[in-house]
Amino acid sequence: MTHSADNPLEHPEVQLADGRGYLLVYLFSSALLGAATWLVAKQAMAPLGLFLLTTALAGVVVVAQGVFLLHMEFSETQRWHTVSLVLFIPLFILTIGLSSWMFHGLYRRTMLTPRTAAPAAAASAGAPAMPGMDR
Amino acid sequence: MLVNLQGPWSPLLGRLAMSQIPYENPILVGTFLLVVALGMAILGAVTYYGKWRYLWREWLTTVDHKKIGIMYILVGLVMLLRGFADAAMIRSQQAMAVGPDSPGYLGALHGYLTPFHFGQIYTAHGVIMILFAATPILVGIMNIIVPLQVGARDMAYPYLNAVGLWLTTAGAALVMTALFIGDFAHAGWFGSLPLNELPYSPGVGVDYWIWAMQLSSVGTTLGGINLIATIVKMRAPGMTWMRLPMFTWASLSANIISLTSFPVLTVSLALLTLDRYLGTHFYTAGMGGNLMLYNDLFWIWGHPEVYFVILPAFGMLSEIIPVFSEKTLFGYTGMVLASFGIAGVSWGVWLHHFFTMGSAPDVNAFYSVSTMLVGIPTGVKVFNWLFTMYRGRLRFDLPMIWACAALFFLLAGGMTGMMNAFTTNDYMVHNSVFVVAHFHLMLLLIVYAIFGAVNFWFPKVFGFKLNERWGKWFFWFFTAGTATVFIPMFTLGFMGMTRRLDYIPYTQWQPLLDAEMAGIVLYSLSAVYLVVQLYVSLRDRALNRVGADPWGTSRSLEWATPSPVPFYNFAYIPHVNARDEWAWRRENGVAQLRHEHYTGIHMPRNTGVPLVLGGLSLGLAFALVWRMWWLAALCLAGIVLLVIMRSFARNTDYTVPPEEVKRVEDAVWAGASVRGADGVRSGAGGLTPAHAPWAPK
Repeated sequence: MTHSADNPLEHPEVQLADGRGYLLVYLFSSALLGAATWLVAKQAMAPLGLFLLTTALAGVVVVAQGVFLLHMEFSETQRWHTVSLVLFIPLFILTIGLSSWMFHGLYRRTMLTPRTAAPAAAASAGAPAMPGMDR
Repeated sequence: MLVNLQGPWSPLLGRLAMSQIPYENPILVGTFLLVVALGMAILGAVTYYGKWRYLWREWLTTVDHKKIGIMYILVGLVMLLRGFADAAMIRSQQAMAVGPDSPGYLGALHGYLTPFHFGQIYTAHGVIMILFAATPILVGIMNIIVPLQVGARDMAYPYLNAVGLWLTTAGAALVMTALFIGDFAHAGWFGSLPLNELPYSPGVGVDYWIWAMQLSSVGTTLGGINLIATIVKMRAPGMTWMRLPMFTWASLSANIISLTSFPVLTVSLALLTLDRYLGTHFYTAGMGGNLMLYNDLFWIWGHPEVYFVILPAFGMLSEIIPVFSEKTLFGYTGMVLASFGIAGVSWGVWLHHFFTMGSAPDVNAFYSVSTMLVGIPTGVKVFNWLFTMYRGRLRFDLPMIWACAALFFLLAGGMTGMMNAFTTNDYMVHNSVFVVAHFHLMLLLIVYAIFGAVNFWFPKVFGFKLNERWGKWFFWFFTAGTATVFIPMFTLGFMGMTRRLDYIPYTQWQPLLDAEMAGIVLYSLSAVYLVVQLYVSLRDRALNRVGADPWGTSRSLEWATPSPVPFYNFAYIPHVNARDEWAWRRENGVAQLRHEHYTGIHMPRNTGVPLVLGGLSLGLAFALVWRMWWLAALCLAGIVLLVIMRSFARNTDYTVPPEEVKRVEDAVWAGASVRGADGVRSGAGGLTPAHAPWAPK
């Protein structure tokens, strides 16, 4: 049902808007993502360390943007927005994670890329395949 | 940037040419003439009885959730008929085209449908039955019932509600347009890649399929947002979470699924659109494309969609069974958890639709186990319904008969589903008609629950009961049809028959295919009984008027309103005291209490904008199908302009004065007919007196 909200500026979500907060989090996010880019470009540490550090930096940026841009908090106005966003995380993990897992196995079995095809061809040239062997 | 097309294209008509009109096909010409005749009859009747103004003011521009729900159901019923006609053609083709000596007609080598035409028919059947029949009917019932059950006067966003309806209707209209202008897709309802890519499907059929699915997908997503917001924010005072009626819980879980999964469909179809229109290579075979990505994305939506349609059906059973067992629902908390358990698991099972694709064994094993997990919450529900019936005072009115039969189909469909959940079994029956029979039983569970719900809530919406005698004829013929079609189909599946065959080489399958055809005849007869039931019910409506509680043992809040429900639902927003509020009021002797004085009621104002948006969306989709860029740009500009203009509209609501509320309330409870001078009208289909002895006086 519609409610009389003739003045959009009185809407509680609009009231949450905060120009200084937006600017600060923009600068903060830019700085962290810039740092991550610089670390990768300079190859500042081993690949695993880089992966973990850039992931951590991205995580901090996501949280900062969630809090300051999207106002993820537990006030009366924002409670359900926060719940929705948090519930999105398991779905993200399920869909992206399970898809990646499936494609990882699938590629090895069905997609003979040049890199995997070459050893396979060399192997088959050297010795006849066993009956039933997965090729 | 655009892909080069085979065949002619003109700036004015795009790919459209006279050759795209199938006037040489007698089946389509006959259907077209029938549609034109029916359309003329309806339009003529509306003109003859001078109902255009009424139609415009009361229905086409309405934002009333009950009327929008009724229109959703009407769209669903029309499409159900079309989907059934497709099913009858599939069955008859398969019964005719058996063995090399079977004759051919209308250009077909065997039977009467060419393989290309047959492909379009089974594709249309699947798309229509799932997206344009089951989904709109379920959304319609949720639209009508959920606000009443939570004690609200309308949905959270009435205008958005109407937009959702007209977008879905535009999608349905696009599918129907494909019958008479051009072709429809021929690669199955879920689309087979790379067959759906432009080089292999150069016609417009796949484009029709894409845009129809997109329109319906946007419409359903908007509906999902609306229902969730309504349940979360519009509950009456005292309607705490653990007092919500079970159908509302089921609707909430279903719409969380729709809100989270439909965007995946939108993306998967958008990528295919880019492939077909701009020449990208998301799903191509080669050139860096990955056609298996399509399967993955489509079924990430596709399997949750299965639970999106099944959870409301479970909710309907949870409402019907207690009323006709004269008991409270057994295991309420367990039922709530089971609904959300099913919704949660639905996100981790999609790969079982393509076990045979070649995934690693541990991946298949994971999905096999997760699929079997669905059986646990579903089993909880089945046992709770049985325990609700146990030692209850059972009455087998029409809704209860449909509900009990639905339980049978849940078991039969569920058990065969468990068989398919074993990867090893699935390798044997994949793409066979055994799988087809399995999922039809699951969808029939939904159909049975829907017919139960329609019979159950019809008196609440229209103020009179549906005829019981003809309804039972319909039920038994429908059930006989179901048994006669699907028992042979399971058998044929075990015998190795694959799905979608336009020609059957094995003559020993003929008797079973003939049996399936006999089942279709029984289904057709059942449809006649349905029409008779509706006709007799409408004819004798004065004899079958009902009060607030037509069943005498109803339990939830919607039964506290008069039948039919006034346009504002509740003269006062109710205060809820118990989980089964209406039963509580009855038991505590307060069911007949009425207010002495009324206050003004704030209501949304009708608007024609959603209807025009639906029309423009249909135009946009049609233009994109035929690649008429000027028309697409025009319609898109119209949509953007209209949305901006609507956002500046201030006259979107009004207040019903207290004296008008009193007049309507006095009339509905006394049984007089009411029509306000300003067009404010009670109910969804007219007003009815309340003669039942238990109805408040």
